[in-house]
Amino acid sequence: MFIEGRSGRLFAVFYPPSVLDPNIPKRALLCLPPFAEEMNRARRMAALLARELASRATGVLLLDTYGTGDSAGDFAEARWEIWRDDATTALDWLRDRGYRRRALLGLRLGACLALEVAGRVRPEIERVVLWQPVVTGSVHLNQFLRIRVAAGLGAGDPSRETVKALRGRLAAGEIVEVAGYALAPQLAAAIDRLRLDELGVAATMPIDWLEVAGGPTDSLPPAAETAAKRWRDTRVQVAVKMIRGEPFWTIEKTTIVSALIDATCELFEGGRA
Amino acid sequence: MRTTDHVIALLVEVLQLGDRGKGLDELTPLLGALPELDSMSVAAVIGALEERFGIIVEDEELSAEIFATVGSLAAFVDQKLTA
Repeated sequence: MFIEGRSGRLFAVFYPPSVLDPNIPKRALLCLPPFAEEMNRARRMAALLARELASRATGVLLLDTYGTGDSAGDFAEARWEIWRDDATTALDWLRDRGYRRRALLGLRLGACLALEVAGRVRPEIERVVLWQPVVTGSVHLNQFLRIRVAAGLGAGDPSRETVKALRGRLAAGEIVEVAGYALAPQLAAAIDRLRLDELGVAATMPIDWLEVAGGPTDSLPPAAETAAKRWRDTRVQVAVKMIRGEPFWTIEKTTIVSALIDATCELFEGGRA
Repeated sequence: MRTTDHVIALLVEVLQLGDRGKGLDELTPLLGALPELDSMSVAAVIGALEERFGIIVEDEELSAEIFATVGSLAAFVDQKLTA
């Protein structure tokens, strides 16, 4: 269905709760997507989570932000500020349909968006769930630009592009295309500024950080650990859970990490906040 | 665990190689040989290496040679770790 966003129609799929207990106020979760191709690769997991949670009495709204997926606008027209408005619009949509208990889930870059929006709506968001959050926007942007650099590897071209050169072009106001995504300089700049620790440092609601790892280490990578620690030091309620699994958001073949779905559903068990 | 073992584990995970991962060793050719290694996954592998080993891969260091084999990739990581 489509929700009227400030810049255009937003495609969204709502999974209403299949059971409603009249003694428990209606609750819903808004899911905010990852960036560019990660969004496509994570779709199945998002849909599975939505179905599972809805069967356990929490409604789930999956949103395509402006310029992405089936929403209005080209990717080149997408802006972080518009995405922020889109998230707020979607939360209002839920509130207007009687879902006064609302939670946010952000996957990857969506986690930054979720934290940024969490404090801005009333009634207050109950909890924010972060799936593999992007910790540093500039690192995420570098990795994205690197896809274009990697495409030129092995071509033997001595004048091949570098991330630095692509950043220079963005700084000069040029749109840079990466793997079919036309990245606007304004969006790149906004992503570049994002720091997860900054975004969550004033959070008043509990944050659940779910991190997927398949390798030999079973703790948060160093930069992530620093962010979580900063939150704990500033009295933000954050709980980190490591999940065994594969990085489904980067894998082209549909990959399911059911442990992540289970862990997320557990957070919403029994109508507790 | 040797760097090579870490790198193999990372490749298996990021490229979703499954059981084929058991056949990987230092001599296994990568770029041009593994169909899973397209530009998106090369970028994902570099990103994962950076996160896992706490290294930063500069533009100038990115070359097809690093990705020639599992061994060359592990050697690159080792060189970054001892730099």
